[in-house]
Amino acid sequence: MKIALFIPCLVNQMMPDVAIATLELLEKLGHQVILPAGQTCCGQPMTNSGCFDAARSTTLKLLNAFKGVECDAIVCPAASCLVAAKENFHEFDNSPEAQAVINKLYELTEFLHDIAPIPAFNKPFAHKISLQLSCHGIRMLSLATPSEQMGPRFNKVEAVLANIAGIDIVYPDRRDECCGFGGTFAVDEGAVSAKMGKDKAQAHAATGAQYVVGFDPSCLLHLDGLIRRQQLPIEIRHIAQVLNAAL
Amino acid sequence: MAYQHNHEAMGSQVHAYKADIFCRDETRVDWHSKALWLLREKRDRAAGSLPEWEQLRQLGSEIKLHTLTNLAQYLETFEQNCLANGIKVHWAKDGAEHNRIVHEILASHKVKKLVKSKSMLTEECHLNPYLEQRGIEVIDTDLGERIIQLAKMPPSHIVVPAIHMKKEEVGDLFHDKLGTKAGESDPLYLTRAARAHLREQFLSADAAMTGVNMAIADKGAVVVCTNEGNADMGANLPKLQLHSMGIDKVVPDIDSAAVLLRTLARNATGQPVTTYSAFYRGPQVDGEMHVIIVDNGRTEMMKDKILAESLKCIRCGGCLNTCPVYRRSGGYSYNYTIPGPIGIAVGATHDNTNSIAWACTLCGSCTYVCPTKVPLDKIIHHHRRLKAEAGKLPYGKNAYMPLVGKFMASTTLLNCSMGAARTALRILPGSLLKPFSGAWGKYRELPVAPNSSFEAWFKKHRSL
Ligand code: SF4
Repeated sequence: MKIALFIPCLVNQMMPDVAIATLELLEKLGHQVILPAGQTCCGQPMTNSGCFDAARSTTLKLLNAFKGVECDAIVCPAASCLVAAKENFHEFDNSPEAQAVINKLYELTEFLHDIAPIPAFNKPFAHKISLQLSCHGIRMLSLATPSEQMGPRFNKVEAVLANIAGIDIVYPDRRDECCGFGGTFAVDEGAVSAKMGKDKAQAHAATGAQYVVGFDPSCLLHLDGLIRRQQLPIEIRHIAQVLNAAL
Repeated sequence: MAYQHNHEAMGSQVHAYKADIFCRDETRVDWHSKALWLLREKRDRAAGSLPEWEQLRQLGSEIKLHTLTNLAQYLETFEQNCLANGIKVHWAKDGAEHNRIVHEILASHKVKKLVKSKSMLTEECHLNPYLEQRGIEVIDTDLGERIIQLAKMPPSHIVVPAIHMKKEEVGDLFHDKLGTKAGESDPLYLTRAARAHLREQFLSADAAMTGVNMAIADKGAVVVCTNEGNADMGANLPKLQLHSMGIDKVVPDIDSAAVLLRTLARNATGQPVTTYSAFYRGPQVDGEMHVIIVDNGRTEMMKDKILAESLKCIRCGGCLNTCPVYRRSGGYSYNYTIPGPIGIAVGATHDNTNSIAWACTLCGSCTYVCPTKVPLDKIIHHHRRLKAEAGKLPYGKNAYMPLVGKFMASTTLLNCSMGAARTALRILPGSLLKPFSGAWGKYRELPVAPNSSFEAWFKKHRSL
């Protein structure tokens, strides 16, 4: 497939390794991968604060970067940015071109589970990992059944990782409780945000896992800051990095 | 008490400020968070034991939505059937009118003491101080309510109002107010003491008042749920009984009430049903029964399609128990009688600090917990937009958000300053977002900055 990468500003600027892993793993799977120019931010920091006016030009700039780009799918390794992009594109542009872009948007895990599954892994990843089920991915993108919901359960994140040889997947206590990042919440509500993150980091570390693995870079960055502040014996990894290492 | 003092001193400060104070006592935060999470776990077990749980939520949501859509008609039916059953019905447009009506009824019966069972609506209307100023003694009879009433505090949770108090603190309070042994904190001992004290109150009261969990239109009856039977003790002893309800409490019939009853207690505490779920459909022999139907901003709320959905709430408290922010910031940080996600949904409009709409990470757990599918995260997000459009943003957002907007929309600006920031091992660009970097770094280690952006890397490694 021909895939256009959607690399949100945070990943581009602060976690390029996550983007590189995404690119490499998609290429290893035989896809042709391009990076449309002119991407900045999905507008989430503004719209999450209620400031839709301030978000308009940013959002439209991102949308324009993808309009008319020839590809089968637009893949993003950041769940909450993906959700925000979808919603904000829709909010600010009702054109068929915008809808065409929205229809092609996929979060990486979602893409690898629903659209183009990984046929086989070549290398083992013999580590214990504690999965970080970030809120927007599970509750807004349905990557996994939220713990509040009853009835049949599914978990795309686990399903995508499960076939890697040697991998040991565990979950922290209160498995999908929010880590407290929440965009500007992290700074507006510093005390509560940090306490939530601290609790989450400790719950991950208490599993005895070597890595916290997640699909949302912003949550991982926040957890990383708290893990290192408390000097916990665990490290963050993005799901793309784990998958790439096993291919 | 230190607690009460804190609460008053904090006045109408922004949520983050009050939450920060609450967070300074980490042991208390951990204990508060755990106590409420225990309720969430019980709720999960109770909900999970019903194969039809998700269907019940869907039904609950539809029942409430249907009733709200045809509210005038159902309220009229309810009133007619109440009148036919010998119940007196009153309408109040706001809290002030509600209080005036209640006082008139009580005054005309020369009531000196009123026993009241838990009602968030009377809290919303600030009924207790109103009556007390007019010489009527009001006794809250739910154990938790009585505790906080003795401590002169408002409830910190809508179902377990004294959840923020430790048993030692209750022991001290009871020693002070009820004369129990000093230093005694055994829950059984304290409960017995409270029970004896409350019994005296029931026997000497002239009237009883309760909230209403559901009002059944086609029967002209009200449903009152308590775990301690205190509403029934109250309503059955004196001859005069009053029931206050918001217009949103009406449901079409007993079957719809049954659906909500099946989820209410399960979602609140994990019980299959509330211990005492009483249906009142007429006065006692020689007695009087009054129902006061209150609007207090609800009609206004219904004009906004998104906000209107918060009226589906049946006040189970489930969203508070699951909320990771509420559990770590406590009920008194919300500047509203009702805290937590539903408190933001129904209270943000009245919040003069304009901060409670931001006391949320938008994680969405509340929305999935809710037995009537109130889309709480959507409503909270919507409140932020309404506040922003009214120019009422907290935390300096009015000043910096437009700048962030400009900044993020400019590739050059973003690339240049992010490059500089990386070199300087700073998380965020220049002085523009200094406060951000400061608040981030106060609690966390700053990220290890990479050498280049992905875009630059891509140009180097993938371009021909
Ligand atoms: S909003 Fe839903 S979960 Fe929250 S108190 Fe109301 S009914 Fe319960």
